[in-house]
Amino acid sequence: MTTATLTLKSPRVRGRHLSGLLTWRGLTGLALVGAVALAGLLAPLLTDTDPNAQGPLALAGPSADHPFGTDDLGRDLYSRVLHGIGTDLTLILTAVPIGALLGCSAALLAATSRWADLAVQRAFDLLLAFPGLILGLAVTAVLGPGRWPVVIVIALAEIPGFGRQLRAGILVQREREYALAARVGGSSPARVLLRHVLPNAVDPLVVQTAVALSLGVFIEGAMSFLGLGVRPPEPTLGSILSQSVAYLTTDPAFAAAPLAATTALVLGFTLIAEALNRGIRR
Amino acid sequence: MTTVLHVTDLTVDFGSATAVDGVGFELAAGDTLGIVGESGSGKSTTALALLRMLPPGGRISAGSVRLAGQDLATLPEEALRALRGRRIAMVFQDPMSSLNPVLTIGRQLDEALRAHGTGLRKAQRHARAAELLDLVGIPDAAGRLRDHPHQFSGGQRQRIMIALALAHDAEVLVADEPTTALDPTVQQQILRLLTRINRETGTALVVISHDLGVITQTCRRLLVMRDGRVVERGATAEVLSNPQHPYTRELLAAVPRLDEPSRAAANSTPGEQPLLTVRGLGKTYGTRRRSVTALHGVDLDLHPGETLGLVGESGSGKSTLARALVGAHAPSAGSIRFRGQELGRRPRREVQLVFQDPYSSLNPRMTAGQIIAEPLIAHGLGDRERRAARVAELLGQVGLDPATAGRHPRAFSGGQRQRLGIARALAPEPSVLICDEPVSALDVSVQAQVIDLLARLQRELGLAILFIAHDLAVVRQVSHRIAVMHGGRIVETGPADRVVTAPEHPYTAELLAAVPRLEPALAGPADSARATALASNRSTA
Repeated sequence: MTTATLTLKSPRVRGRHLSGLLTWRGLTGLALVGAVALAGLLAPLLTDTDPNAQGPLALAGPSADHPFGTDDLGRDLYSRVLHGIGTDLTLILTAVPIGALLGCSAALLAATSRWADLAVQRAFDLLLAFPGLILGLAVTAVLGPGRWPVVIVIALAEIPGFGRQLRAGILVQREREYALAARVGGSSPARVLLRHVLPNAVDPLVVQTAVALSLGVFIEGAMSFLGLGVRPPEPTLGSILSQSVAYLTTDPAFAAAPLAATTALVLGFTLIAEALNRGIRR
Repeated sequence: MTTVLHVTDLTVDFGSATAVDGVGFELAAGDTLGIVGESGSGKSTTALALLRMLPPGGRISAGSVRLAGQDLATLPEEALRALRGRRIAMVFQDPMSSLNPVLTIGRQLDEALRAHGTGLRKAQRHARAAELLDLVGIPDAAGRLRDHPHQFSGGQRQRIMIALALAHDAEVLVADEPTTALDPTVQQQILRLLTRINRETGTALVVISHDLGVITQTCRRLLVMRDGRVVERGATAEVLSNPQHPYTRELLAAVPRLDEPSRAAANSTPGEQPLLTVRGLGKTYGTRRRSVTALHGVDLDLHPGETLGLVGESGSGKSTLARALVGAHAPSAGSIRFRGQELGRRPRREVQLVFQDPYSSLNPRMTAGQIIAEPLIAHGLGDRERRAARVAELLGQVGLDPATAGRHPRAFSGGQRQRLGIARALAPEPSVLICDEPVSALDVSVQAQVIDLLARLQRELGLAILFIAHDLAVVRQVSHRIAVMHGGRIVETGPADRVVTAPEHPYTAELLAAVPRLEPALAGPADSARATALASNRSTA
């Protein structure tokens, strides 16, 4: 019918996000991320072993004292993985908001004029043209390994994603009639952009955030794996995995716990992103 | 006559809601049946249920659809697919999106012909495709099989959709709002085509429309639907001349008639000095090398308390003119003066715009009160308390409860949303209201209410209104004067009644002839000859 869309009263936007999360996908994702995050947060309560204390028992399998076994230096893997999760989450939860903020600011700047749009778009292209690894190497070469290079690389890698997503949303919403109505009503361009267009364009960013978090876990892992990340002996999931590779054939149990935690995080965030995406598209 | 389609007690549920409730009708071979109703009446759902193509969530919970003895409501999907397109076919509303843009018309017709394994060889199918295009009145049919959909106009695309539906000589053709997306002159051609096909091939026709005029032009019998039920049925002429059900009477009364004189003079008397003077207004889009001129030197005067109707088909430049007047874009040439003063590019408090689509023109994230207060904030009028009082006053003025200010637009119906849009436009106390197709997206009964509201506001506030629409009957009813736009120019201006009764420009006459009337006059031979002439004229345009 001509007006079939009329009867489709869209449920509240917050409700759509929520209803997306309350599917098997969303709930599984939340459970995975929640379990891993909780383990990381409660690390000091769950274990009193120092993650960096070396012991005489190297490469031991799981036992009552060391539930996940020990690494090549005799450090307790249970404690290292739990603390490693904490480090990982701190890193990505710092880096992703920074990247999101910078990306969205750039997109808003791009919305102001054609020249600004051109400049911002080319800057995004430049960032995207750098493969993540080269970017990581370049940043570490300047700053040396440590926490901040990881945060900077993750943030830089997220900027174009957020920026492009928001820019696309702004371009669509700006052509809608209510934006024209606001302009005709006398609102200034900045007011139209911030008060009318922006609130309607942020929906996809919620999905983008979940995608960015999973990407963050991934980038941290890759950087630590290559020895560009957080300085040893501080544990991160990536660095434990990197160590374990040398012993994969002789002691596969070494890699199991960090691998499981990383997988659970990435899978969880991806499932949440997918659930949110389906929720808002419904 | 034999019955080809026999629908009994058809009921369609969406979850717990019943969209179609016990609809039944019979369709004889070669007969024509119209289903008319407003949005939400279940007429489109009925059409989709006939072919069991309901959207997800909908299901036929009772009743039967018997096509030549087989019940389509219970037939296995496989068997049903063999019938769709072959014995019962459908034409949809939007010809722009119903054709695959990357395939040639020939390929698409060929595919339709191959779909049911008719065993025709390639050359035969090619000949049949050309024959079908010729049947629906596409000039040079054989030569155009290699063209893609974008090379055809909207009306021609709807003709091609009809050709696709006719590929297998279906016994029943269901047309769901076949002309709603088209201009009146093109609509007229498509309606004549449907009538001709019904007469020549004997295909039974079911036409679904919100427009009684469309049904009157094509169908011998009609059903009036409301809230999923059939409230009245009978021969078209009889229902129109002697409606039994109160809803049918209401519907008929709400339809604007072209032969009714203008009511504008009784409503308000225009002032002497023009309020808005437009001279030589031009607008060109695009780059210098590939430019499109939307407005060619438009001249216009609008007096206080006057309603100037502006009619024209899509692409004639109506909306471009409206947007130039409110300063949404800068004109390429000419001047717009308000009380003798040139209007610059800054926001114009005195000239406000009412939009066509009451759905997309209201920000879904804001409440009704915020939406109406927005122009007040933008023009720095009043403080918080004074604005709240003004919002309440405006809501009352457009006939809405001031207590609804805290609700979001989605909580309002289409007509109520249009009232919100009018309240927003009135907020900064303008003296000119530009209404760009303010009632085209609304049901006829709601349309009448909004028109009454605009008339009342004009009487009370002395507003000058530029009323843009494509429906000449509505325009005549509300306007003091009518301006006719064609190809970016104003081709005729004059008193409303004179323009309708004695048009001076041939284009105005053409527009007038295309308005579907409520007298059931099936096209005679002279008429169809004229239609063919018109068709060939317009296809070149």
